[in-house]
Amino acid sequence: MLLRRVFQFFVIYFLFILGLMALKYSLNLSDYVIPAPSGIFQTLVVEYRQYSIATINTMTVAIIGQILSVIMAFVIGITGRQSTWLGSFIKVAAYNIQAYPIVALAPILFILLGDGFLTRLLIAAMICYFPVLLSVLGIMSKPIDDIEHFYRVTNRMRWQLEVKIRTFENLTQLTTVVAGSATLAVAGTIVAEFIAANAGIGYNIRIALYQSDLSKILIALFLIGITVAVYQALLELLGTAIKRAWTGR
Amino acid sequence: MSLLCKNIAFTYSGAENPIFADVSFHLSAPGFHSFSGPSGVGKTSLAKIIAGDITSYSGEVSTNGLQTILYSHNKERLPGWSNVDRHLNQVILPSMRSQKDELIKIFGLSDCIKSRFDQLSMGQQNRVNLIRYLLQDCEVLIMDESMSNVDESTRENIILAIKAMFPHRYFIYISHNVMEVAKFCDSILVFRTNGKASPVVMIKGCNIGKGEILSPAALDATLLEIMNAS
Repeated sequence: MLLRRVFQFFVIYFLFILGLMALKYSLNLSDYVIPAPSGIFQTLVVEYRQYSIATINTMTVAIIGQILSVIMAFVIGITGRQSTWLGSFIKVAAYNIQAYPIVALAPILFILLGDGFLTRLLIAAMICYFPVLLSVLGIMSKPIDDIEHFYRVTNRMRWQLEVKIRTFENLTQLTTVVAGSATLAVAGTIVAEFIAANAGIGYNIRIALYQSDLSKILIALFLIGITVAVYQALLELLGTAIKRAWTGR
Repeated sequence: MSLLCKNIAFTYSGAENPIFADVSFHLSAPGFHSFSGPSGVGKTSLAKIIAGDITSYSGEVSTNGLQTILYSHNKERLPGWSNVDRHLNQVILPSMRSQKDELIKIFGLSDCIKSRFDQLSMGQQNRVNLIRYLLQDCEVLIMDESMSNVDESTRENIILAIKAMFPHRYFIYISHNVMEVAKFCDSILVFRTNGKASPVVMIKGCNIGKGEILSPAALDATLLEIMNAS
């Protein structure tokens, strides 16, 4: 799974580079617009250390943000699954708030909290949170009647058992949602860094943008892509291990 | 203790005509009773009305002294995170453990009791589901096709064992197997197809127990009565 993910990323990335090169040489564009392969390689050699550290910085924020948002989504999703007024309120609120582009709130957070770690973390968590919440709400609100019936009619149904049944029956969907949310958390962090932060790979991309240095941007994209591919593959492996341990298959 | 239904009528939401109307019957003694009739006449709906799962009906259901009525059906599943034996132990009273072991043996499940539910055949799944309902503290157990996909001889053994082990309980057995219903049930509520004067007819079954021999003439007579009624 891990190797396949990395391989898939390499294929896509180098196809993209090939496309750029085709464009460069067919339109006879200068190295200033699209750098030559040798220029990109040279930038890699010069910048890989700094960019790797920046990528790790970004990933740290993204992972913490993702963990926070997944925990929060499960807590709220489990509370909101009920058909009580609180559950209905949570569902309506979640559906309405998620429709708002969270990234548009980023400047407010930067104004209020500054451009440090906390702001990036909040933006990453917020961007990741709502899609996970909607999935968890959808899964937790849907009864598994053919299993739950017995526990209901014999008065054995407790909320913990209900959550356990619904989680177990939708394990594949939930692990896919959690693995997929990693991309959202990384995107959120990079967007935050892009807007106003003072660290991370998004911040480095912003500087490269001001310098109009496409080589640096391509190297940054490579490092982000490979890291996210590895992280997602690890999450999928974790999901598979949990599934195997729980279902015995 | 008895179960009395008076003038029960039920219409599915959005439907123009009731699925059944004016259904009345009385089960005055514990034992094996049955709802019989072709598909779609409302056997399951009536069972759900009695169990309290459907509340939007007209008429009256009196469960005089019958505190707990359970409805089980053949599409139920056990959770898949542990084996069947562990699930059963979690949902039965410790005092019923010996009965559980006996039922497992009679139901022919000894070899697969340590398997997970989804590893069992459909017939085995239905039998496991039935065991957990039998071991609940209830006065009425409705078994809606609860033994489908189970072979005939095992089914017979199961019914006879249930009748012997739970003589004070009301069972309502919903099945399309007319022969089985005629043979083992005390009373049979036959649902009639549209156009008949009364929507249901109560017929006396042969109600044979363990070790009893059924005369072919009695069985033929009951079968004929069911045929005529439906």
